[in-house]
Amino acid sequence: MMELYSSFIKQIVDWQYELNHFISSTIREVNDESSLTLSLTVIGIAFIYGLIHAVGPGHGKALVAFYFTSNKSDYKKAFKMGYLIAIIHTFSALIFTFGIFFILKSFFRKNFNEFSSIAMSISAVMIMLVGCYLIYEAYKHRKERDTEVKKSKKSELAVAFSAGVVPCPGVMTIVLFCIVLGQYSLGILSAVAMSIGMGLTISLAGIFSIAINKKTGSLLNDKAYILEMLGGLFVLLLGSFLFLAQHHH
Amino acid sequence: MKSLYLLVLFTLTLFAHPHTFIDVYPTMVVKDGKADNIRITWKIDEMTSSMLIMDVDTNGDGKIDSKESKYIEENYFNIFADYNFYTYLIIKGKKVELPTPINFVATIENHRVCYSFDLKYNYVVKNMAFEFGDTDMYTAMVLKDEFTNIAGAKAVVSGVDNDFYYGYRLEIK
Repeated sequence: MMELYSSFIKQIVDWQYELNHFISSTIREVNDESSLTLSLTVIGIAFIYGLIHAVGPGHGKALVAFYFTSNKSDYKKAFKMGYLIAIIHTFSALIFTFGIFFILKSFFRKNFNEFSSIAMSISAVMIMLVGCYLIYEAYKHRKERDTEVKKSKKSELAVAFSAGVVPCPGVMTIVLFCIVLGQYSLGILSAVAMSIGMGLTISLAGIFSIAINKKTGSLLNDKAYILEMLGGLFVLLLGSFLFLAQHHH
Repeated sequence: MKSLYLLVLFTLTLFAHPHTFIDVYPTMVVKDGKADNIRITWKIDEMTSSMLIMDVDTNGDGKIDSKESKYIEENYFNIFADYNFYTYLIIKGKKVELPTPINFVATIENHRVCYSFDLKYNYVVKNMAFEFGDTDMYTAMVLKDEFTNIAGAKAVVSGVDNDFYYGYRLEIK
C-alpha cells in the first residue's frame, strides 16, 4: 500500500517536472514569436498541469472530502464545491501575484514566501473555525432529521473559502513567469485554465468521499450526528495541524 | 476502508507538493577510493529562476556578478541550512553531519539560476552515499545518471522512497 502510494507520488512529481520545463520553454517561445498556437498550447498545458498539480497534497481536497463525509450530499454539489474552491484559489493567486508584483516589486521572493505563510496561517485558523461550526451544527441538530438542506449553504461557502483562500504557489509561479515576460493576459488565462483543471480534481475528491459515504452512511442513519461531529472534529484537527505545520520551521 | 482513506488524505495535506524543481549535478574526483571534495551544482527550474533573477539581478544585466552572488548566498542559500541543504551524507549506513558548503557561486545558464558549492570532507567512497530530497516536498530534487560527473569511480543513481517524499541516492563505486 505504502509502496504503491509513493510510486504514485513519484509519478505525479515526474509529470510535473516535465510539464514545468515544457511550460516555461513554451511561454518563452510565445514571447519570442507571439503565435496563437503556442499561446493555446500554454493554456492547454496549464489545464493539465492544474489537473495533476491538484492531485498532489493540499488544495483543500482533504477539507472537501471531510465535509462530504460528514454531510450528506449529491455529486452535483461536489462539483460546485470543487469549482468554487478553484475559483477562489485562482482569484487569490492572481490578486496576490499582481499585488505583490506591482506594490513590492523588489524583494519579491522573500515577500512571496512570507505572504503565502501568512495566508496559510489565516486559512488554517479559518479551517479550525469551520470545524467548530460543523461540530456546533451537528450538536444543535442532533435530534432533528433533514436539517442538511437549511444549514449547508452557509457552511459550504465557509468550507470553500477557507480551502481556497491560500493562493496556489503553482498558479502564482506561472502567473509571475508570464508577468516577468510581459505576457499579462496569457498569465491570467493560464491561471484560469489551471484552476479549471484543479477544480476537476478537487471535485473528484468530493465525489469519491460522497460515494464512500453512501456505502457506509446508511448503516448509521440514526446516529448521523455522531458522524457529522466526528467530521467536524477532523476538520478542526486538520486546521490545527496545518497551523502547526505552518509554524514548524 | 473509510478510516484508511481519511488517514491518507489527512497525511497528504500536511505535505506540500513540489513547487520548485532543482536538478542536482555532483562532480567528484576519486583517487584510490578517496576524495576530498564534492562540488554540487543546483540548476533551478526556469520559472523559479525567473523570480530569483528579478529579485537579485539588481543591475538588470542578465548576469549574476560577485556582489549579487554574495547577496544570494546570504539571503537565499544559507537559509537552506535549516533544511540540511536538501543533502544528506551517509557513511556506513548512518547519516552524518553535512560539511558546511563553501566556495558558493551563483550563475545564470540558459535562463536558469545555478548554485554551485563545495562539500569538503575526507571521503572514503566505499560505504558512502549521498541522498538528495526535501522532506517537506516543497522542492523536488532531481538526480539523473547524466547529471553526475564522477572521475575515477562509478556513480550509481537510484531513487529513495522516504514514505512521504521522494529523494535520490548517489553511490560511488
